[in-house]
Amino acid sequence: MSMPATSKTNAPAQDYFAIFGLPRKLWMERDALEQKYLQLSWKLHPDNFVNATEEERERSLRRSSELNDAYRTLEDPVARVEYLLSLENMRKEGEHKQQAPPELLEEVFELNESLDELREAKSAGSDLASLKSRLESAEKNFGEKLGEVDAQLQVTAREWDDALDRNADDVARRKIMGRLNELLNRRSYVRNLVVNVAKELGEA
Amino acid sequence: MAYSDKVVEHYNNPRNVGSLPKEDPNVGTGLVGAPECGDVMKLQMKINPETQVIEEAKFKTFGCGSAIASSSLATEWVKGKTVEEALSIKNTDIVRELSLPPVKIHCSVLAEDAIKAAIGDWKKKHGIEVPVAEKVAH
Repeated sequence: MSMPATSKTNAPAQDYFAIFGLPRKLWMERDALEQKYLQLSWKLHPDNFVNATEEERERSLRRSSELNDAYRTLEDPVARVEYLLSLENMRKEGEHKQQAPPELLEEVFELNESLDELREAKSAGSDLASLKSRLESAEKNFGEKLGEVDAQLQVTAREWDDALDRNADDVARRKIMGRLNELLNRRSYVRNLVVNVAKELGEA
Repeated sequence: MAYSDKVVEHYNNPRNVGSLPKEDPNVGTGLVGAPECGDVMKLQMKINPETQVIEEAKFKTFGCGSAIASSSLATEWVKGKTVEEALSIKNTDIVRELSLPPVKIHCSVLAEDAIKAAIGDWKKKHGIEVPVAEKVAH
């Protein structure tokens, strides 16, 4: 995840929400965001800087690339949650342990094994029919799981917004962010699998 | 991403790939995952109940080169060690051995977790109390 680049002029870099003049809420109106994006982009357009100094031109370029990053991130509901958590230091990578629920791990492992089998069967030129139907049902099952996770993400995102509205304390906020984090973990697992399965089935 | 020679070596010639019978009372199974990259790692050990020596170790990992190398190395290291000795293996040892870059540290954490999980599973089968936080070997 890329954080807003620190500007060379030592001006404090604005976070993506601030760039759009928005509070750190997760629900946003897509159209309004797009409108605002177009408006801000227009302001930073090179045509408006024809007579500007070199420095001003450079700064507007930098800001416009920040704006693009900000829009791409906020426009996607999942990237938005990820970004919020990274802003709040709740999405740590590297050494930080992020465990997935054990029952999901079992399923993930088994599905990966079936994928392996399919690849081997493909290269050996053996009959793929039964494997394919097994994977197709797995694809459906994981597709449904992805839908469930996304629905839960939406509900939890609303809880986050409510918490901000009622000025909930740090403990309550962290709790919600912890849940958002778990949901994102679950989602990345399930999504990777859905993509892999679809890819293998497409080639089979 | 450039992998170190050791990672590439383990990746191309992974040691001890496979599985052991999960139901065997002397086999401990550890299944762990790193959701940020979607990796899953299964590590199994066959442990002699008399001597507590790890006689066999197998792994199967779905993930990146570093995850595969970390688990491959872990199986090599635990073989022939006692349970206590194996529990003292730290992820930092794996990082050093494989020269893992910072972004791949979680792969080594995963391998350490897998060792602990497998031994924990074996202990559970034998009714041995597993402390909440595994102590570093004396």
